[in-house]
Amino acid sequence: MEKNNKEVKYDGKPFEHEFDGIQELNNAVPPWLLYFWYITVTFSVIYVAYYHFLGNNVLQDAEYQKDMVVANKNVADQKASSGEMAMLVLNDDANLAAGAEIYKTKLCVTCHGNLGEGNAIGPNLTDKFWINGKGLITDVFEVIKNGVAAKGMMPYKDQLSEQQILQVSSYVLAKLQGSNPPNAKPPQGEMVE
Amino acid sequence: MEHQYFSYDNKIVRYFAFATVLWAIVALLVGVIIALQLSFPFLNLNWEFISFGRLRPLHTNAAIFAFVGNAIFCGIYYSLQRLLKARMFNDKLSWIHFWGWQLIIVAAALTLVLGITTSKEYAELEWPIDIAITLIWVVFGWNMIGTIIKRRVKHMYVAIWFYIATFITVAVLHVVNSFEIPVSMWKSYSMFAGVQDALVQWWYGHNAVAFFLTTPYLGLMYYFLPKAANRPVYSYRLSMLHFWALIFIYIWAGPHHLLYQSLPDWAQTLGVVFSVMLIAPSWGGMVNGLLTLRGVWDKVRDSAMLKFMVVAITAYGMSTFEGPMLSLKNVNAISHFTDWTLAHVHIGVLAWNGFFTFAMFYYLIPKIYNTKLYSEKWANVHFWLGTTGILFYAIPLYWAGITQSLMWKEFTADGYLAYPNFLETVTQIIPMYHTRILAGLLYFSGTILMAVNLYKTVAVGKCVDNEETSAPPLAKLEPKRIFGETVHSWLERKPVIFTILALVAILIGGLVEIIPMMVVKSNIPTIETVQPYTPLELQGRDVYISEGCVECHSQMVRPFRSETERYGEYSKAGEFVYDHPFLWGSRRLGPDLARAGVPGGKVNKPVAWHYNHFVNPQGMNAQSIMPAYPWLIKKDVDVASTPAKIRVMQTLGVPYPEGFDKESEQVLLAQAQTISDELKTAGIDIAPTKEVIALIAYLHRLGKDISLAPPVPLPNLTGEENSENTGEKVAEVPPSEAKILFDKNCIVCHGKLGEGNAIGPNLTDKYWLNGGTRENIVHQIMEGKLEKGMQPWKNAFTKEQVDLLADYVIQLQGTDPHPARDPQGELVE
Repeated sequence: MEKNNKEVKYDGKPFEHEFDGIQELNNAVPPWLLYFWYITVTFSVIYVAYYHFLGNNVLQDAEYQKDMVVANKNVADQKASSGEMAMLVLNDDANLAAGAEIYKTKLCVTCHGNLGEGNAIGPNLTDKFWINGKGLITDVFEVIKNGVAAKGMMPYKDQLSEQQILQVSSYVLAKLQGSNPPNAKPPQGEMVE
Repeated sequence: MEHQYFSYDNKIVRYFAFATVLWAIVALLVGVIIALQLSFPFLNLNWEFISFGRLRPLHTNAAIFAFVGNAIFCGIYYSLQRLLKARMFNDKLSWIHFWGWQLIIVAAALTLVLGITTSKEYAELEWPIDIAITLIWVVFGWNMIGTIIKRRVKHMYVAIWFYIATFITVAVLHVVNSFEIPVSMWKSYSMFAGVQDALVQWWYGHNAVAFFLTTPYLGLMYYFLPKAANRPVYSYRLSMLHFWALIFIYIWAGPHHLLYQSLPDWAQTLGVVFSVMLIAPSWGGMVNGLLTLRGVWDKVRDSAMLKFMVVAITAYGMSTFEGPMLSLKNVNAISHFTDWTLAHVHIGVLAWNGFFTFAMFYYLIPKIYNTKLYSEKWANVHFWLGTTGILFYAIPLYWAGITQSLMWKEFTADGYLAYPNFLETVTQIIPMYHTRILAGLLYFSGTILMAVNLYKTVAVGKCVDNEETSAPPLAKLEPKRIFGETVHSWLERKPVIFTILALVAILIGGLVEIIPMMVVKSNIPTIETVQPYTPLELQGRDVYISEGCVECHSQMVRPFRSETERYGEYSKAGEFVYDHPFLWGSRRLGPDLARAGVPGGKVNKPVAWHYNHFVNPQGMNAQSIMPAYPWLIKKDVDVASTPAKIRVMQTLGVPYPEGFDKESEQVLLAQAQTISDELKTAGIDIAPTKEVIALIAYLHRLGKDISLAPPVPLPNLTGEENSENTGEKVAEVPPSEAKILFDKNCIVCHGKLGEGNAIGPNLTDKYWLNGGTRENIVHQIMEGKLEKGMQPWKNAFTKEQVDLLADYVIQLQGTDPHPARDPQGELVE
């Protein structure tokens, strides 16, 4: 039979007993592993204190609010430096090409069709009928910027700068209007000559 | 001393081994299929039973419970008998365990493809299967503990400590996380809601990893590694320390799955620090394993089996370091909801569990068949196929996860999201998804090669089903500690006390985290405008659950500028109080949907958009990877199940008015009709009872309630006194009886402020569907209007109560809440 008092004594030597032929040594725990353990415990104590007991106000809601204050200030500075924008249709090629690009990449195509012909969701943009406003650049700009919640048109003010909204509005008015694409959706809204 | 003669049961071992190989092939094959579906969405084949949302839980369940589960039982049945010098306690229990477990797996596979699921990750199976799992698990534990009791070896070896911890912890986790109330044979609702459900689920989910994928394998490592290498275990002392530290600390770490989410900060912090403190105890196992190989590293070069073991143990060490790093909030902010997590878990399962299982088979199959492995060379090829497969899987997905996360977070100089269209961030990482297919095929082909190799081995040898052996009987044990015996040494010969102590160790963390969440109200601040789902939305929610939408779409906007800019206001704990179960999700293969129903919100889409998108997502966005769901427009919602669902929700404390279940079908149909009508204006003709209508109704409810709530004031960040916020509190006026009645019975359809909703009309404007005089209102309350969904209340209220309500409605006139439902009926001045 085993002598249990022997079990605690040896280091680096096998126990007397074995399990299905498996022997156990009793080496010391590697010191680096022990130190690592102490470091993680210390880290944890400091972590809890830093977040919850030292009044640092760094929990997630506060972190978010601080982030937003900084971001809003940066955006406001940016806007202030760029100045007022004239509400005119941009007829030059560069701006129209930029508008066409936005029209395709910002999913305008999903509801208004590749050629602006409209589909089950969104109205035809190529005819002379308008649901919101009278087809002025300011009307189109307003619809894209703030959306028409009741009709499912989403606002793009968080995705596009005012300059970009003007570019895509210009594309709608200068390029899509009167283009007479195939499969156009029947007119909706009021006719504006 | 006289020897006793007995035999080891090898038959049960070989059955579990064959089941493991079979389910490994199934799990890996399904994995390859869903990887293909992500790269080429047409491979969903527009067929509901193999749609990604249903196959993905099948893949995870097959990998964890069928493949790894059977491997655990195989290894335990082999090693336990030999470590205890005893045959399994009862052969009948062994076979009930084996066949019961296989039946559960088959039932799981069938129900999951049929869309029967609870949606809780790694706990998707419905209540009848949950009960079966509990029973079979008890059979397993009974058989194991019975064997321990009748052992012929005085002390329990370290492997057995880990087996015991596995058994009791999985039992506790499974039972608590499966608290659910059945609606019907194959449908139940979780007893927990929202934040509580999320906490319980991830306490379970994380520890399923800990106590199903880790502790049993550490036990197997402690047996098979020293046997295979023929070396003594490096340190008994380290075994002892890391065992107790590991099981005590692991259980606390669950909340790290919910960082930056609507979980109270204190719980998140516990999740972080216990994850960090887990590194050293986890590494204890790796260190003890690798140092056991001291002096025999030359053998590793030659033996495929030892190579598998070394890579498995090293991968375990890497994963248990990576896990805590992913639990740091600043890392988690980048990694969560991305493929990074998937790379992490696949290293765990493919390398640690998979490779160790393969090594175990190369060891024990030739042993029990009393022969040699058919081809050592094939085993080596298997090793390299598996290793390259893992690398081809993990590295591209790390890349994909970090790329996508950085794209989600990038802003332009003007302060706009650089990639506001979610799809751009998906398209960018599709090449990595292609690589994953290759990785899966490599690993899969290696596994097939092993299956053939084992088959050839088995064909040559003959299994010794009952391996004759002998051992001296166990001498009578002193119940008390004998002189010079250490406490732990004493404990190792007292299995019952050992089991109880392990149970205590694993209960502490769970109790400290879960109980306060259940009882302390301030953990989930109430939001006044949050109301229960309408019957149609509830049915739609069940469609969402059934189709596995949660596999790809989260409902959890984290408090980051990049997320509030993309989706809308960040999610609050109080929003989810009626969510049985919670549906926050853990991966964003598609955009978050928590704000899909905010009118005019950033991600709000018209009903016609949703309809067309479900039918043909690629028609809307050519590069979308979402499967099409054509069956949603063909299948009807089971309207007749609505009253039972409402009643279960009432039992769970959701405040539907009494008797609402009886009206629920009509209320459902009335709301469905409005959506059907709206679709008609877009040229889409569809019956109101179709599943797609309910699903759209649900999506349009998401986040709507909180959009009605007043904005939360900014916390005081500057530290200066703010005179406006420090003013005295407005004295609270107790609500009138009429208001109490109205809040209890009317707001489900008319809104908290009488503003109306998808079901009932606005009560605050001057338009009336059924007359606007006081007599008209009294009549309407008393008699109802069933065809519109308004129920008669004359039996529920006294005459006085009806009068009070009528006066209350008249008071609501002209209060002009925002937003409110558009006027209906005739103007009455």
